[in-house]
Amino acid sequence: MSLALSTLIYEWRRYLAAIIALAVAGLLVLAMTGMFMGMSKSFTATVDRSPASIMILPPEAQSLFSNNSGQPRRNIPKIYRHADVLDVQALNMNWAFWSNFPKDGQPAKGDGVRVVIVDPVHGAVTLPNDFSDDLIQALQQPFSVIVDRSSLGKLGVQVSDPAKMNGIRVWVRAVCDGYASMFNASVFMSRQTAKLLHLLDDSQRVGPLVVKIKDPAQAQRVAAELNGMSDGQYKAWSREDLSDASQKSMLKEGGISVMIGFAVIVGAFIGVVITWQTLQGAILANIKEFASLRALGVSMGSLRLIVMELSLWVGAAGLLLTALLTGAVWALAKSFGVPMDFPLFVDLPVAITLIGIAILSGALSLGILKKSQPADLLR
Amino acid sequence: MSSLALDAKGLSKAYKIGKTRQQVLKNVDFSAYHGQVTMVMGPSGSGKSTLIAALSGLMRPDEGDVQALGESLWNKSSRKVDKFRLDHCGFIFQGFNLFPSLDATAQVVQILRYCGVGKRESHTRATAVLESVGLGARLHQKPAELSGGEKQRVAIARALAKSPALIFADEPTSALDSVNGQVVIKLLHEAAKERNAAIVVVTHDPRLEPHADRIIHMEDGNILSDHMISAPPS
Repeated sequence: MSLALSTLIYEWRRYLAAIIALAVAGLLVLAMTGMFMGMSKSFTATVDRSPASIMILPPEAQSLFSNNSGQPRRNIPKIYRHADVLDVQALNMNWAFWSNFPKDGQPAKGDGVRVVIVDPVHGAVTLPNDFSDDLIQALQQPFSVIVDRSSLGKLGVQVSDPAKMNGIRVWVRAVCDGYASMFNASVFMSRQTAKLLHLLDDSQRVGPLVVKIKDPAQAQRVAAELNGMSDGQYKAWSREDLSDASQKSMLKEGGISVMIGFAVIVGAFIGVVITWQTLQGAILANIKEFASLRALGVSMGSLRLIVMELSLWVGAAGLLLTALLTGAVWALAKSFGVPMDFPLFVDLPVAITLIGIAILSGALSLGILKKSQPADLLR
Repeated sequence: MSSLALDAKGLSKAYKIGKTRQQVLKNVDFSAYHGQVTMVMGPSGSGKSTLIAALSGLMRPDEGDVQALGESLWNKSSRKVDKFRLDHCGFIFQGFNLFPSLDATAQVVQILRYCGVGKRESHTRATAVLESVGLGARLHQKPAELSGGEKQRVAIARALAKSPALIFADEPTSALDSVNGQVVIKLLHEAAKERNAAIVVVTHDPRLEPHADRIIHMEDGNILSDHMISAPPS
């Protein structure tokens, strides 16, 4: 084991402040982006867990959220022209006003909810692939709805309670997990129930189309071929590409990027200052040992390398602690039903920045090595 | 090879303390021989530490030069002086200056690696030299688990491992009790005899005198006396 690594392990208390500073800087940025990504993920949950491998959006849409103003219903038969396509359906979303029937002492709740319309039969392209048989059966009953477990409090209901949607009575037959939303709750219902509630929009314009194909592994190829056939009428996306693009567009277009940018600057500044000062102090504590190496003829360049290696290990330890803390925050958020998500395109820059902070701090600490004058060891 | 290892002429060094300039070495001539323990004694402030700093390439004197192993030490660039120390000099200090995180073997291996010795070879040599200073049973102990005498022996092993022709020891026994002090000076004496190294020991510990081949007394930056006890090996 190298001197730098063994020093970090043996004298970890000395380096703890730097490691914590890095971890907190990382956590600050990751928690903010994670929460925001989680919010956007809750919007894309129905897409992410759709059995469809391909989504069709209007040609000008850059994601689910930007320039996605709907498309003509006649796009549906065009998609069937591709031989690999098995099923095409419009992903029906709507809005409704929800109110509960307050029990004794319970406050009345009224809120706008996002209605997700599915076909409750096995293999339906609109049915989320994590819906169990019980959920499917529950949805098959008229006037029954399903909500996410974390929305029960917000909607003021329990399982098997009645509620009103746009003034019509429905029953909460079951709860699902993993569709938590920071804002409006999602309410799942069958196409039939949606019709009964006058929520099924059968106009000539539809939202995203979900497409099931013969071999999901071929999604990229089929999407490219569909685009080749589109004549500029629509744009086909593989599910993963669309989910990625949607998250990124939320990050780019939301005001959150300013907040995250600010957090990065503050985090990096605090990280550099604390890490630099801690490293300097720790090196100073071993300065006589460094000086004895100098006396024995080890060059200043070699000592600098030790310090740089040390700072790199501090960065790695900071990164590890960031991961642990972020994991803990994630678990905590999950227990409160707050969705968080940490896509690689956020994690990677954060990791690189943290290592960069550690390296910069190491470079700033090099000056302290000038104090390693071996002649000072002589009394 | 001539048995003259170090030959210094006209060494002078002054320090500036506040506005006053203090002359700590005054035109000192000094020599040391291979195979001998040369002891430099004197009260504190006599300039003995400054003398070995100048002799060993740790601090450039204001005037004078040192012929070390036949090379003019202070005509070299500081990078070349570093290289000279790496190739030829061992140091033992009063404080042991061992990295707290490294065990005894790693302390020695570390310096051998900087000398360009291979990994396996440096482990073999470190084990051998630690055994030779009586630490065969303490190879994997860290400094915190070692007594003062043992730590100084690790420092000696670190200095001896690269087989230096010149070994400088500054008050090597003053942090040790008399038994450990005797062990340490005996090890240095053996290094002089068995490895033909020139050993310069700065001390004010009179108990070490019986182990010296030559005793030089300093005071106020001058050499007062130079007493050769046993002639250098030819």
